[in-house]
Amino acid sequence: MESMLILGDLGSFINELYNGILSWQFLQFVVLFISIFGFVLTSATLLVLAERKVMAWMQDRLGPYHTGPWGLLQTVADVGKLLLKEDIHAGQTDKAVFLFAPSVFLAPVIAAFAVLPFSPYLTLPGSALATGIVYLVAMSSLDVVGVVMAGWASNNKYSLIGGLRSAAQMISYELPLVLALVGVVMLTSVLDPHGAGVGTISLSGIMNLQSTGVYPGKGTALWDFVFQGFTPWTWFFLVQPLMLLIYYTCGLAETNRAPFDLPEAESELVAGYLTEYSGMRWAMFFLGEYGNMTIVSAIASLLFLGGFSGPAVAYLTGLNTIWWGLLGNLLALGYFVFKIYGLCFVFIWIRSTLPRLRADQLMQFAWLILIPTTLLNIVVTGGLYLVLNALGISNLIFLIALGVLNWLMVFAFIWVVQRATTATTRSAQAPAIRARQRAVAARVPAREAAPQLPEQSGVAGGSAS
Amino acid sequence: MVANQNPGVFSELETSAEGIKTQEMLLNMGPQHPSTHGVLRLVMTLEGETVVNCTPVIGYLHRGIEKILENRTVMAGIRYMDNCDYLSPMLNETAYASAVEQLMDIEPPRRAQYIRLLVNEMQRIASHLVGIGTYLMDLGAVTPILWSFRDREGILSLFEALGGSRFNVNYMRVGGVLHDFPRGWLTECAAFLDRFEKNMDELGGLITGNEIFEARTQGVGYVDQQQAIAYGLTGPMLRASGIKWDLRVNRPYGAYREVPVNVMIRQEGDCFARYKVRFDEIFESIRLCRVAIERMPGGAICVRTPIALRPPRGETYFALESSKGELGIYFISDGSEYPWRAKVRGPSFVNLQILPELLRGHKMSDVIAILGSTDIVLGEVDR
Repeated sequence: MESMLILGDLGSFINELYNGILSWQFLQFVVLFISIFGFVLTSATLLVLAERKVMAWMQDRLGPYHTGPWGLLQTVADVGKLLLKEDIHAGQTDKAVFLFAPSVFLAPVIAAFAVLPFSPYLTLPGSALATGIVYLVAMSSLDVVGVVMAGWASNNKYSLIGGLRSAAQMISYELPLVLALVGVVMLTSVLDPHGAGVGTISLSGIMNLQSTGVYPGKGTALWDFVFQGFTPWTWFFLVQPLMLLIYYTCGLAETNRAPFDLPEAESELVAGYLTEYSGMRWAMFFLGEYGNMTIVSAIASLLFLGGFSGPAVAYLTGLNTIWWGLLGNLLALGYFVFKIYGLCFVFIWIRSTLPRLRADQLMQFAWLILIPTTLLNIVVTGGLYLVLNALGISNLIFLIALGVLNWLMVFAFIWVVQRATTATTRSAQAPAIRARQRAVAARVPAREAAPQLPEQSGVAGGSAS
Repeated sequence: MVANQNPGVFSELETSAEGIKTQEMLLNMGPQHPSTHGVLRLVMTLEGETVVNCTPVIGYLHRGIEKILENRTVMAGIRYMDNCDYLSPMLNETAYASAVEQLMDIEPPRRAQYIRLLVNEMQRIASHLVGIGTYLMDLGAVTPILWSFRDREGILSLFEALGGSRFNVNYMRVGGVLHDFPRGWLTECAAFLDRFEKNMDELGGLITGNEIFEARTQGVGYVDQQQAIAYGLTGPMLRASGIKWDLRVNRPYGAYREVPVNVMIRQEGDCFARYKVRFDEIFESIRLCRVAIERMPGGAICVRTPIALRPPRGETYFALESSKGELGIYFISDGSEYPWRAKVRGPSFVNLQILPELLRGHKMSDVIAILGSTDIVLGEVDR
């Protein structure tokens, strides 16, 4: 009897498992998991190629063009090479940490994709996560652990300096990055559809708030087709442009891209924490970095540019037929990827334009300019709402006023940054440096402190130069 | 703690005011490093990221050019001068040929002098382009180097049409130059200069007003006038410190006796000033090239010299304004076909001496900014 009972339980268990695996939810999960994982890996390859081609275009040269038509297979060949390469690790490295660091760097990047909605259907259960932004920020801060591990374990001074620079930089820029997003989160509580003033930090929630606006000619077939769920005039970058700018700048620093690529500054630190890595472990860092780029762009487009909303998406998916729904989802995916790559293009554009900042200037920029500005923005947003709400003025007027104010702040911000850099460099530095030189020279008499070369340390009377 | 730190390279622990144990770190930069412009090795003592002291170690590119010159006939030596400052071979050749001419008391024909002026100024442009491009590359901007190399390629193509070789042209001769212009070369050159001037405006727009570039270079690596003179700096390094010294004006030679040159100087004495001096000199060189094309006289391109060239017994010193400063040849002849001694006074070598003085107290990122702004060529430092 007992065995029969167990068998019966097992049967029902198998039955449930069978039903579960064949259920639409599970199928959705599998499709989405595979497509997102594929997207992360392919996107890095594509971005590398795009970067080389776009930079070649900006620099008046051809870029890769031998492998495949127009060099399209170049990165595929590169990945093949990296996979086949010998996995070298230098002697006297901290082996466990050295081997583990690339995984620690890459894992949070892939995990972060769990909360990104790609289209109405291609949405992991995680994208409804009520703490979406917190989760993303947490994942992107975890990256620094991998970088510091790599820098420490490499047993190389350049790697160590690169890792430590990276730690300082990522931690400093995490703050304005989060504070910039707070502006948007405050808007969501103002725009709460239930009128309860409860905001949301879930990504799909914030995205939906940007696509539920009214549009002219509602009910007309053509207008419905185009503008249902696509209302660019309610996108948050119109209300909070400065925060998009700051978020994007911090994103550059978070992903170690130019002009904030100090941790791997080629001309100073050879390759920073990447110096001792080769083969697939190096490629994992690279993959993580480009994955990070994609995430920063994806968050920017979700929070400020309406995510995957675009013409005809909501209309086609609303028809509830499978083929039109599929078309609608493909369109949504297309819009989203287009927005992501558009922002990635700006990454590449900036890289080919700007020189690199110095470490102390980098810190100054974060702590003295970005953080006060974002804090000011929070105060302005909240204060303006309090005042206008007390006067009984509608939310629409508040949004317009805030938008105008924020656009003015963009120009003020650019002006302030210009003034700050010119003021600090032009007038102040030359005498200061002279004084510092004198001070250092007085502290360390030049000839006595000249470093002894290791190979000459035993030679009597050998002068250093 | 990894068992990695070689105790020999660290100084003893010092305790800071907060009670934190600190130690200075010895960092070897180079000879294989992306931004030491060849094989310069800098042994630096760092305190955090601040440079406490620095010792440049040279000699990794030593080829014994001066000794080679002693073992080659005077004519054959010109070709070895190409490899000295390998970014401005034409200027090196001119210096060597002119030193021999000065010793033999030969005056090249006027046309040869103008050809020399033209190719020298073009070479100066090419050298400054490399200097600016690699400097910006060191500072992390990737585009300027490719733009400047694109334009430099135009100059090298013109040299190829002229002398048969892009780079080690071997074009100068004692008493003149090797070839006259091919047909249409001057027109092509003038057209190139027009194109190039537009490109330079674009390049200047990309670099000069850039706030990050200004923040990285202004006030960094300051050299005051006394220091510049005391260290014997020449060229853009000297002129950026506000001293008006240019051999093309102060000791004119060749066609510079007829073509006046505007000396570009800046008062700031920092990295930005050195960059700007080079940048302005490019425009001045374009102007000089145009003047040379316009005034190009006819006549012979070379005086007749004996095949076995025997300079008379004696010694001489000839210096010209190379792209990096005063390039001097001290030439001693014992009356044979071979120079008894040919000493090269390379401006890069002399300008490099101030580097430890400049680096002290700066951040590690500034090391690159300062080293790049001195615009040295290791081929000339080590010879």
